[in-house]
Amino acid sequence: MSRAKDRVGTWIGWGFFADLANGLALTFGYMFSRPVTMQYPDQEKWLPYPRYRGHHFLKRDEEGEIKCVACELCARICPCDCIEVIPYEDDKGKRHPAKFEIDTARCLFCGLCEDACPADAIALGQQYEFSSFSSRDLVIGRDDLLAKPGKATTGGGVVAARLNTKKDVLVETKETQGYNWWRNIRRT
Amino acid sequence: MELAVALGLIVFKVAFLIAILLLLPLPLTWLERKVAGHMQQRMGPMRVGWHGLLQPVADGIKLLTKEDHIPAEADRFLFKLAPILALAPPFLVFVAIPFGESISVLGTEITLYVSNMNVALLFVFAVIGIEVYGVIFGGWAANSKYAVLGSLRTCAQMISYEIPMGFAVIGVVMLAQSMSLLDIVRAQADVWNVVYQPVGFFVFFVAGLAEAQRIPFDLAEAEGDLGAGFHTEYSGIRFAFFMVSEYAIVLLVSVLVVILFFGGWNGVLVPLPPLLWFVLKVAFFVYLFIWFRFTFPRYRYDQLMAIGWKVLLPLSMANIIITGVLLGA
Repeated sequence: MSRAKDRVGTWIGWGFFADLANGLALTFGYMFSRPVTMQYPDQEKWLPYPRYRGHHFLKRDEEGEIKCVACELCARICPCDCIEVIPYEDDKGKRHPAKFEIDTARCLFCGLCEDACPADAIALGQQYEFSSFSSRDLVIGRDDLLAKPGKATTGGGVVAARLNTKKDVLVETKETQGYNWWRNIRRT
Repeated sequence: MELAVALGLIVFKVAFLIAILLLLPLPLTWLERKVAGHMQQRMGPMRVGWHGLLQPVADGIKLLTKEDHIPAEADRFLFKLAPILALAPPFLVFVAIPFGESISVLGTEITLYVSNMNVALLFVFAVIGIEVYGVIFGGWAANSKYAVLGSLRTCAQMISYEIPMGFAVIGVVMLAQSMSLLDIVRAQADVWNVVYQPVGFFVFFVAGLAEAQRIPFDLAEAEGDLGAGFHTEYSGIRFAFFMVSEYAIVLLVSVLVVILFFGGWNGVLVPLPPLLWFVLKVAFFVYLFIWFRFTFPRYRYDQLMAIGWKVLLPLSMANIIITGVLLGA
């Protein structure tokens, strides 16, 4: 009985284009939902999570000395052979890298160098904007790596940002936590 | 002197109309892209001007400066003729369309129509039929498989949907006892035709969607299977001609729906200027076209034909008979 009723209801709905009206109502509702577009890079920027594997950076210890002991394990484990380390011994008899170069054009950002490092000296940080017009510029030396930003502390938010094309194509931001664009997605 | 003033007025009106029709696709493309964006939770054009308002201007400059490419094996004469044939009829039709009764400027009454034909409706359908030649020539002359398939589809679609469209307005003509669009609007001063002719409105609107080749009936330019249909090989300003023609037809169908079924410039409840009422109603139907486009999928070709011949045609004929019986009784 109820099935027959259902069928009659379906036919009546079909006669009055209920499904088309439903579709129109849905798209109309979506028209007034908030767009999920991230206004990158002009106005907004996404902050990476702490687990994000961005540009490498080298760490310093408490005395400000470079942590790296130039054991070259990272260079060995690197699947694309993009790390080159040349060690030296300082006056205290400690090993440090004289040259530590990463060819980020070849790097696949697998994070194995971070895992292999016995001194916890290298890690993959939060920077993800380092495109370049020349592949030569993508070879990063020791001192540049020391200056790179470290791991993110917060992440996942979209913050207000500004495109700076004067000196470099870089997105500047002052906020540390933004809105979660994932929550803006309307799901019905 | 009288004649010169009248002539000058007509020339001015025509120039004004052409200017409006040529400029209106600019905000319409912007609106379409904006609505599309927001319905898909995007923003649409944002870069050029405030919220992308100048985007259509940028697109127009781009189309003007692009290479006007003609395929090597194309029929050059027809290829050049087709965009003009597609563009002219939608413009020509507006000669017969009234936008209001009249307004007084500096003490002289100026009518808001170029001409009050007594066979305006017939004129509209006759002239709009020519537009299909532009599409057929364009598809044929380009000497491309996509274009030919697209124009064949358009051809069949236009012919099969013009019949129910023509039948659907007969009910309106019977009610108004006139084919003049001005008289039809005047006859709706109290009650709009859509109350008496809901089926006629439905058939006319659906056939109008097909006539304007909009989704869900845009098989002629189905991007997925035909590239772009009949204008696949067109580029630059000739392509822009087809686009302007498409928007002019969208506008025309909206204007016709408003005049024939929604009381033209007759308002309800809210006392607004008649011209504003007219513009608001037309804007609603233009929005409806855009809304439909980003809601519905495209019909299959056999479904399109089945809807035209098996649903709309019997419906419009039954509409004529029932209207006739009720009017006679």
